[in-house]
Amino acid sequence: MLRIILQVIGIIVLFGAVTIVTLKFDNMDADGPSILFPGGELISGDLHTGPDPDWTFTDDVFFVELQLDGPMSSRRIFIMESEGKIYVPSGYMQSFLGRLWKEWAFQAAEGDGLAVARINGIRYERQLVRIGEGDAIEGIAQKMAQKYAGGGGPEAVARGMQSVSNGDTWLFELAPRTSVAVGSK
Amino acid sequence: MKTKNYLILCAVIVVVWSGILMSVPAVSDIVEQVMIGFLSTYAT
Repeated sequence: MLRIILQVIGIIVLFGAVTIVTLKFDNMDADGPSILFPGGELISGDLHTGPDPDWTFTDDVFFVELQLDGPMSSRRIFIMESEGKIYVPSGYMQSFLGRLWKEWAFQAAEGDGLAVARINGIRYERQLVRIGEGDAIEGIAQKMAQKYAGGGGPEAVARGMQSVSNGDTWLFELAPRTSVAVGSK
Repeated sequence: MKTKNYLILCAVIVVVWSGILMSVPAVSDIVEQVMIGFLSTYAT
């Protein structure tokens, strides 16, 4: 009986392992991420040049594709516009699973943050700058609650701000690239 | 199940399941949706 139980457990574990390994390797060189697994370099789509657009159009965009240049990988991610700037969040940063899932956020915070965001098929060269505090947080939390938490009520906004302040959610501004960052690429 | 048969079953699972995941996008999408739901629930 014990043998059968162990064999069943082994098959369940095998299914999980095969799923993760297959999807990870199947996506790693793709032009963009899958639903969960990172993809490779964002290749398709026009590269935006010139001044930044009015980012409020991202209010109608649920996910964007975000590529980190170092290491080269891309993932799907939420986006929030606030006061003319755009931000991306990374949640679950204090849990074990979250640390595995959101490894990119650590890489962005520790590296140069050079990134490319593909929004509605247009690629924008940006630089990820972590925002940990400041007046901007409330506006971002408001937008995050409106778009992704079913409404921008005071409680939802307060929860979002609390999550940022205690480090469970990291926020990055998708800022224009600085000349120093571009030169170091 | 004898060890030999069990190992054959494991090999078949690896080949068939990875083939399905790579060749049928609808299946991999559903699997990823389930995984992201699991992570969203338990990665807190």
